[in-house]
Amino acid sequence: MSTEWLPLVVALPLLVAFLLQPLAHWLGVRAERPSPVLYGLSLMTIAATLWITLQLGSDVIAQPLSVTMGGFNTPVGINLYLDGLAYLLLLATQLALLLLWPAGAAVRTHVLLLVLAASSMGLALSGDLFNLYVFYELLAVATFGLIAASPGRAAPLVSFRYLLLSGMGSVLALSGIALIYSHSGSLNLADLSMLAASGEGSLPIAAFLLILVGFGVKAELFAVNSWVPEVYSVTSSRFAALLAGVVSKLAVVMIVRILLLLFPQPEATDPLLLLGILGLVSGELAAWRSNDFRRMLAYSSIGQLGMIFIAFSLSLELGLFAGLALSFHHMVVKPGLFLLLQQPLSRWRVVLLILFALSLVGVPPLPGFWAKLALLTGLVEVGGWLNGVAAVTFLVATVVEAGYLFRIVQRYYQEERPIAGSTSSTVAAVESPWGWEGGVALMLGGVLLAVTLTINPVTEQLQQIALQSGDRERLISTITVSEVE
Amino acid sequence: MELALLDMLGIFAVGTVILSLLVGEHVRGGQQLSLLYLLQLVIVSFMVSSSESTQFSSALTLELQGVTMSWRLDGLGLYFALITVATALFVSVYMVGAWGAHYRKQGGSLPLLHFALSLNVLTMLLLLASGDLLSLFIGWELASWSAFLLMALAGGTALKSALRYLVYAMAGAMMVFGAIAILVVEAGSFQFAAVNSALVQLEAETSLLLLLLVVAGFGVKMGLLPFHLWQASAYAETPGPGAAFLGAISSRLGLFAILLVLFKVAGGGWLNQSLAGVSSQTLLAWVAVATIIFPTFTAMRQNDARELLAWHGIGQGGYMLLGIAMMDPLGAAGGLLHVFNHATYQAALFLAVSAVIYRTGSSDLNHLGGLVVRMPLTFVTMLVGIIGLAGLPPTNGFVSKWLVYRSLLEQGEVLLFVGAVVGTLGTILSVYKLIHNSFLGSLRLEHQPIREVPWTMWLPMLLLSLIILLSGIFPGVPLQWVSAALLSIGLPVPEFNLGGVVAEGGSLDMRIISGVLFAGFAMAALIFYGMGGRSRRVNPLDNYAGGHFLYAANRYHYSNNFYAGLMHLIKPWYRGLFQRIEQAVVRLLAVAAGLVQGIYLQAQAGRMALVVTVLLLWWGSYVGQGGGGL
Repeated sequence: MSTEWLPLVVALPLLVAFLLQPLAHWLGVRAERPSPVLYGLSLMTIAATLWITLQLGSDVIAQPLSVTMGGFNTPVGINLYLDGLAYLLLLATQLALLLLWPAGAAVRTHVLLLVLAASSMGLALSGDLFNLYVFYELLAVATFGLIAASPGRAAPLVSFRYLLLSGMGSVLALSGIALIYSHSGSLNLADLSMLAASGEGSLPIAAFLLILVGFGVKAELFAVNSWVPEVYSVTSSRFAALLAGVVSKLAVVMIVRILLLLFPQPEATDPLLLLGILGLVSGELAAWRSNDFRRMLAYSSIGQLGMIFIAFSLSLELGLFAGLALSFHHMVVKPGLFLLLQQPLSRWRVVLLILFALSLVGVPPLPGFWAKLALLTGLVEVGGWLNGVAAVTFLVATVVEAGYLFRIVQRYYQEERPIAGSTSSTVAAVESPWGWEGGVALMLGGVLLAVTLTINPVTEQLQQIALQSGDRERLISTITVSEVE
Repeated sequence: MELALLDMLGIFAVGTVILSLLVGEHVRGGQQLSLLYLLQLVIVSFMVSSSESTQFSSALTLELQGVTMSWRLDGLGLYFALITVATALFVSVYMVGAWGAHYRKQGGSLPLLHFALSLNVLTMLLLLASGDLLSLFIGWELASWSAFLLMALAGGTALKSALRYLVYAMAGAMMVFGAIAILVVEAGSFQFAAVNSALVQLEAETSLLLLLLVVAGFGVKMGLLPFHLWQASAYAETPGPGAAFLGAISSRLGLFAILLVLFKVAGGGWLNQSLAGVSSQTLLAWVAVATIIFPTFTAMRQNDARELLAWHGIGQGGYMLLGIAMMDPLGAAGGLLHVFNHATYQAALFLAVSAVIYRTGSSDLNHLGGLVVRMPLTFVTMLVGIIGLAGLPPTNGFVSKWLVYRSLLEQGEVLLFVGAVVGTLGTILSVYKLIHNSFLGSLRLEHQPIREVPWTMWLPMLLLSLIILLSGIFPGVPLQWVSAALLSIGLPVPEFNLGGVVAEGGSLDMRIISGVLFAGFAMAALIFYGMGGRSRRVNPLDNYAGGHFLYAANRYHYSNNFYAGLMHLIKPWYRGLFQRIEQAVVRLLAVAAGLVQGIYLQAQAGRMALVVTVLLLWWGSYVGQGGGGL
């Protein structure tokens, strides 16, 4: 399959999203009623993007490719850039969407999810800052709609608060991008990375910090993440799983792309490290204190992303792999936990929950351990007092994490043997059917075990991807070679 | 691939785990498991007794993430492995039959208990056989988590204690994780030899930090002060045989790991450095003494037999560390020998208490008494066990404690010696409370109909008692294993023979001591019976005191509020210092957590965002104007 098909990954869901509403009208589907036809169409769209991605093949891990849009060369035109990291993110997004797509949703939800799909994949593929910003905004809009559409009286308020924070983030990110544009005259990542070497003055660094805070809203960066506990506890667990699992990682990867390509100097990584530490501390402590499990997981997610930021603030060779490993691990575990807690706990679900918890805590030989090992040795190797603080924080946070995750297990046992007379609604006496959510959680558990058994090849692949995405020269050459003659 | 002896051991251990899930449901199914433990014991014994090879390597090596992991058992690992597997065998025999049926009837899951026990054995063997830092850490984590499983499976309060353990164990594991990360980054390798050679260039501060992390991190598991609070309740709440296993050997893994890293990996050099003017060796010895004294006297206060024993388990760990901290032949041998001795009597005692619970349903020392007439075999076990725990001849506990005392005196550490003796005093007092309140005195009315426990339960108990006595009379046998263990980590080995230790200025020959002791007993018996001493059995209730007939309601067995006078004297000393520290830490954490949670719960979500943005922009301008990085 030719690389010309790549833009379809973004365009197809968008197209279907725009057509869905008229189609519903034409079919006579009432807006609030679920429609199997529209559901099937949406799923098929995502499946089609998955098929396209798979057809492009996994050899992008060896040789990344770039597609220029509209026949214009890079400073003017826009291009999509597909490397191993983007490929993995595409696959993860598509699979997550396929698995978590709500079956009985209204037309509106289908449309919004399709927009979310298109913008997520666009984010993963963007080769220039402007596109990045556009897709990011589109993603934000889709998310507002989806949160506001959640059942429950709190949803509109939560959505509004999220809108405010996200709007602020957008403004900041846009000012950062504007600063860069005024400084360099280009928004193409490859172009910029060539310009970035001249890092004089405070302008570039300020631009990066603005972008960091701006995109940090979705990436659950500390201090712009107060929406996380609210949103995750209001929305359906499928959507929370999607947000915590995939969307946050997309935002993180965007930040990392910009960081690596444009600002590899310590002035830029130090604030990232500091905010990562603060996120880790605040997330884990707040999770430890919260009694509501959905909120606990939300806070825990903040902590985990703080850990990921710490990893990415390390030098290229050490940090990128650790950060990616942590990201992908979190991408599997956190949705699993969200989905499991959706249903009443039963014996086997608790076993699965313990498996996820153990991996999240980092108990060998589960995958979480290897990711944490990479992070810790990286921190020790780079040294310095701030990294030392990060290492200590990381170790303490892990203890806290183990404490609160196993409190969920404790709750289960307490409720399993209820005091006479009290009836508990959250715990099923008998094994209730697993349902779709449970099935997906089970599958994620299976993935975790499979990775545990094949840890060597998986790590090797991930290391290659990390190496590739940290390779600035390769990106520059790939994008410039693909230019229209 | 040729199967090495260690691989066979591993296969049997894995087989036990798998089989436990298959046959654990049936009460008799435990027999097959016992058989498998027996096979493992045979292999380990063969390894221990074969003198031609000092190290048994596994043919299996695993390369994960570019790190080659290997497993091997040397003297130290073999010593601990022997105790582990033997304890598991005794405990599993105990679990077969009546006890298992009883446990199941009470709502416990027998397969889960079997599974947890066999998983503990497997993971502990993995840890003991670890051949590099990575397999060491993996083994450590796995063993810690399987211990958690064993503690937690009773649910309820046991789970609560287990969660407390979990937090402590994780804290310890993370300290170890940090230490290993430092070591690995310094050495560039996980292998012991490479790490050892890299340690030479280490800065003094780094090696001090490593010493602290290693001792504290691994020390959590052995209940080293101030990390001991979790242990007693966590062990006491575990179902009887599980508690026996945990108390006997699982808690000693901390000591094993400390020895391995401190002496084999680091060559013992870390103990020579000084911390705030005091040599770290002395400091370690004082920590050990504190670990003896505080938990031992806390044990005296306990009214639950299981809690009492578990608290002693912590205190006895102090003797082991104290002996080893002396780093001389007698002390090191005494400390390490105490691991074996402690395992034997602690297992026997826990099993005996468990037998009491099996018959009476209680281990509350205020509500027992007089059981000697109904459960004589259990009584004998407990008697031998407490003599061992108190460290009196002719039991094995005496030998190891004698060695430690001797070493302390030889080194001129009089204060440490006094501390250790104070600990022993507390031990004697509290074990007397244990046996007096449960077995002596008058039998309670409701306990009249009970009988001795079935043979599956008393057999392992009596065998353990026999081992306690025999290894007390012939300490040369365990000393042989100890000396191999000491050799493998490069510590000095004392001269010994079958009866004891040969040392300048006074040897110890237990054969003579026991002979004299038994001769004394024989003499007393001869005098008593030969002088016409006649005893007549009477019902405890067929009696009178102070001119009044005794009724079941008037008990003349004072077990409630035992040692009231003594407690009144020393009560001001029980300040619950460590409990308070723990609470303070938890509260501090709660306050901090409340504060940070406040950040997320603000009405104005954007406020913090604004603050951070402004700060970041300030940072940007500061850096841009030539300010350096952090």
